[in-house]
Amino acid sequence: MNVDVQKKVKIIQKSMDSIRKMDKTVHTISFIQLAHEMEMPLNELTDFFLDVEDIFLNEQKRVTRKIEAHLEKGIKNCKTPNDAKDLMESSVLKMVDLLPDYSDLVYSAIFYLPKCLAERDRTKKYYRQKIRIIIKKGWPGKIDSVLDRQANLVLLSLYGFLDYCVKANKRERKEVLKDFNNMINLHLQDRLFF
Amino acid sequence: MKNTSSILTEKVVNSAINSLRKKKRIELLSFAAIAKELDVGIDELSSFYTTTEDIFLKAQKKDWESLHRYWDKQIKKAKTPGDYMRAFEIFFERFVETLSKDSDLRFELSCYLPACVKFRDKNRIKVKEKFTKLIKRGWPGKDEKVIQRQSELVTVLFYGFIDHVVHIPKNERLKILSDFRNMLNLHLQDRKFF
Repeated sequence: MNVDVQKKVKIIQKSMDSIRKMDKTVHTISFIQLAHEMEMPLNELTDFFLDVEDIFLNEQKRVTRKIEAHLEKGIKNCKTPNDAKDLMESSVLKMVDLLPDYSDLVYSAIFYLPKCLAERDRTKKYYRQKIRIIIKKGWPGKIDSVLDRQANLVLLSLYGFLDYCVKANKRERKEVLKDFNNMINLHLQDRLFF
Repeated sequence: MKNTSSILTEKVVNSAINSLRKKKRIELLSFAAIAKELDVGIDELSSFYTTTEDIFLKAQKKDWESLHRYWDKQIKKAKTPGDYMRAFEIFFERFVETLSKDSDLRFELSCYLPACVKFRDKNRIKVKEKFTKLIKRGWPGKDEKVIQRQSELVTVLFYGFIDHVVHIPKNERLKILSDFRNMLNLHLQDRKFF
């Protein structure tokens, strides 16, 4: 990681800690207030970010970039159905593992900040596309309409799981993760699905 | 028949939602603008709501209270496992049928505004408790641990379902509801779940 990126990540972490301490709704926090709370010169913040929304957007993208890289590499290396099944499980695990301590804060803000909301929509479409590819490779023989419907169900399940994980502790996440993977497997093996 | 105050509160919610849809920023909503649009006094608005956040919180509470009332009636009537299974299914049907045309925005605010998030968390516990009861009686013979894990998983999936369904057109909602219910049924019938 180069020095600038390291600094950027540190500022994001510090900002999240400060925003939590301020106990205010994100849209009521100004950049000046945040710099004051962080005991940091304003220009140090503005060197990296445009505004509070930009901090959240960067954090959101930082996490999704890693998941996207994992998915792209995984799909490229998928040779057998089992590789695809493993990729499905490892991607869910990756998503959970990448959640930072302040993920509840980021998750909540994403629903309000327009750029974050747009990024959320983009990511959702991207995940749907990749989930469809993984299902096709991992559970071969399904027709297109089944692939579409099952991709939607896996996608919505995944977002429900993330919604749970951002507020759950690590132990709780792991417990549900096992059941979640089993349920997805069971659903994708369902031969009666038509 | 609706009384005058419930007609007014409905108009206030619609006005606030429309304004938010246009302006995209909650900080740009004001009591004064809503009062002007509805041709009522600010005092009258203040007698119903304390803040703009309060408008969305009360709307959220009203929707869920109505849904719970309906659901409780179905649960109360149930006598056999089949009845409990039906009460489980009816909940999802009712949820989808009663979604407002602005359910996407209402959902996003419920994940962002602190008072709405608090209510959402509290309500999630209530929903999970009902799922627990229905799974116990609708799919009898499971031990307590399995019931707890399955109701947690069903709750996780339901919240993903909400996120998905509010963001798709009305005519697509029933299609995904049917697939979603089949997925849950398959999971709840799974004898290997241990």
